[in-house]
Amino acid sequence: MSDKTLQALTTALNFREMRQELISSNIANANTPGYKAKKIDFEQALARALDVDNQMQMNVSDEKHHTVGNGGFNNLEPEIYDDPNGVVSENGNTVDVETEMARMNENKIMYDALVQLVNKKMGMLKYAINSER
Amino acid sequence: MAIKDIGSFRNTLTEADAKGWSKKVDSEFTKGFDVEMPGIPGENTTKTFGDFLSESLGKVNGLQQEANVAMEKLASGESQNLHETLLSVEKAEIAFKTMNQIRSKVLDAYREIMKMQI
Amino acid sequence: MDLLSSLRISSSGLAAQRKRMEAHSSNIANAQTTRTAEGGPYRRKEVVFGSEPERENFSEILEGELAENAQTVHATEVVHSDKVVYKHDPSHPDANAEGYVAMPDVNPMVEMANMIEAQRAYESNVSAINVTKQMAAKTLEIGRGN
Repeated sequence: MSDKTLQALTTALNFREMRQELISSNIANANTPGYKAKKIDFEQALARALDVDNQMQMNVSDEKHHTVGNGGFNNLEPEIYDDPNGVVSENGNTVDVETEMARMNENKIMYDALVQLVNKKMGMLKYAINSER
Repeated sequence: MAIKDIGSFRNTLTEADAKGWSKKVDSEFTKGFDVEMPGIPGENTTKTFGDFLSESLGKVNGLQQEANVAMEKLASGESQNLHETLLSVEKAEIAFKTMNQIRSKVLDAYREIMKMQI
Repeated sequence: MDLLSSLRISSSGLAAQRKRMEAHSSNIANAQTTRTAEGGPYRRKEVVFGSEPERENFSEILEGELAENAQTVHATEVVHSDKVVYKHDPSHPDANAEGYVAMPDVNPMVEMANMIEAQRAYESNVSAINVTKQMAAKTLEIGRGN
């Protein structure tokens, strides 16, 4: 079960859940004075851990450090930050509800796709287990 | 899901190679086991069933790897190609299941042959 | 769990927008009220929102960044405006000696606009809740039917 792809999928699922929480927070606080819209970025960290095309090379100073592509999935640090592109309204709020809705829909679609892929992988495993003879 | 060791499977196939058997018996009847591939005339392009199988195994493995790469790219957001990812996963799944069926058939054939009283 | 926190956050948004609706519909209803229990005309109400980090219990406080960043919203304060508008209407029973009546500082247009905004914000929170629910339902599909 240490399949790198499966781990990548479940890690992405976790992060997308977090993203949904932040988007909900942004939408709920769309009128709160001084509230800054928040974003979470995990794509970079995940891509680095996966290193699909062997594009990234890094020197490792300590053998306990993860090299690129090794899949140190448990230590992935996502980046949570204030959206710099938010338009500031007069009460200091930077939330744009339409943008948040668009982000939410995109997140949902990708989340569904990832769940389906996880299911497919599990299905293949079960199939292989079941076909004895 | 990738089959790690094709080499050992290939060895097994080569041992049970029908071509070698047909050499021993050497009759018209057994020539059918050799698959003649069209190619450059004059060159020996006969492939054995074993070669054929292990090549197909390689292709199935390749498809699995492709699907894995596509899934990883989708997870990390590198690719936004939903339909292509799902398609390559489907292809890999179909190839895998087909290969599994072939494996069953080969095993059945093997057992059938072993049952034969010489 | 993140999805459950999302639900709590979105429902806090619903509650806050509802309070806002109440305040503004109260303003509209009382646009002409010149007599109140405290004396004087009706004071226009406005709701101030504040956010605070979503914490359910102590263990979540120990969790990292996400708990600090995802915020529930509260209608922290209902502010009563002190502003009063004087209208010249000598025939009004509450007119003072010069014939001016103290009226609430309520502009129906502004109140309606606020109510529409509150309604849209309410709807967007409902959408967020629906999406969160669907994500949870989808997650439950893992492993089902294989």
